[in-house]
Amino acid sequence: MISETYVTIVVLFVLPIFLAAFILYCIRIIKGPSVPDMVLAVDALSFDIAAFMGILALYFKSSLLITGAIVLALWAYALDIFIAKYYEKKELGE
Amino acid sequence: MNEKMIDLIIFIIGAALMIIGAICDLIGALGFIRFPNFFVRLHAATIGAIGGAVYPLFGVALVALVMEAPAFTRYAIAGGAFVTAIIILLIAPTGSHALARATHRAKVVPVYPKICDHLEEDRGEVKEEVKEA
Repeated sequence: MISETYVTIVVLFVLPIFLAAFILYCIRIIKGPSVPDMVLAVDALSFDIAAFMGILALYFKSSLLITGAIVLALWAYALDIFIAKYYEKKELGE
Repeated sequence: MNEKMIDLIIFIIGAALMIIGAICDLIGALGFIRFPNFFVRLHAATIGAIGGAVYPLFGVALVALVMEAPAFTRYAIAGGAFVTAIIILLIAPTGSHALARATHRAKVVPVYPKICDHLEEDRGEVKEEVKEA
């Protein structure tokens, strides 16, 4: 068993870098010149929030936090596919 | 002694993966800000998705296995992180590719600072051949 202190040190080193990256992604989402840019940024942001939730689950020692990550990743994929389908055929299918 | 050593090695590998993932994430976000074009930004999106999400999740899975916690919590976090990492590894390239293909095909985004666009040229040649025939 690794003591809790080392895990906390690593997590506290990693968290600010992730938060800085989130702010930069949000800047691109807000001022993105076109819709595909925004969708791509939301996509990358969602995957990174999934990883962030995994790290938070380590920090709080909670197994409930990790269950949201799987659903979040799949929603980002659904957004990608919907936008791609719309641009390809100008409809959303049935 | 032996078990302690294996725990330490797994923890160091997991922590290194988490730190590499965080740095890759920052690099991808900087690329999102600095790159000029949608199709160039796809490279940054790949770094942000694979390097920034899959690596830290594998790191979380490894660290959670040797963490000091109840057994259910440890195995639940490790399994969930592993499954999420595999899912993101499969769906991030597929989604980016579908979006890029649809965008280029619908001409939503102008390919402005461009040197050459072979895909566009290929499509143009195909259309001309059809017209001649």
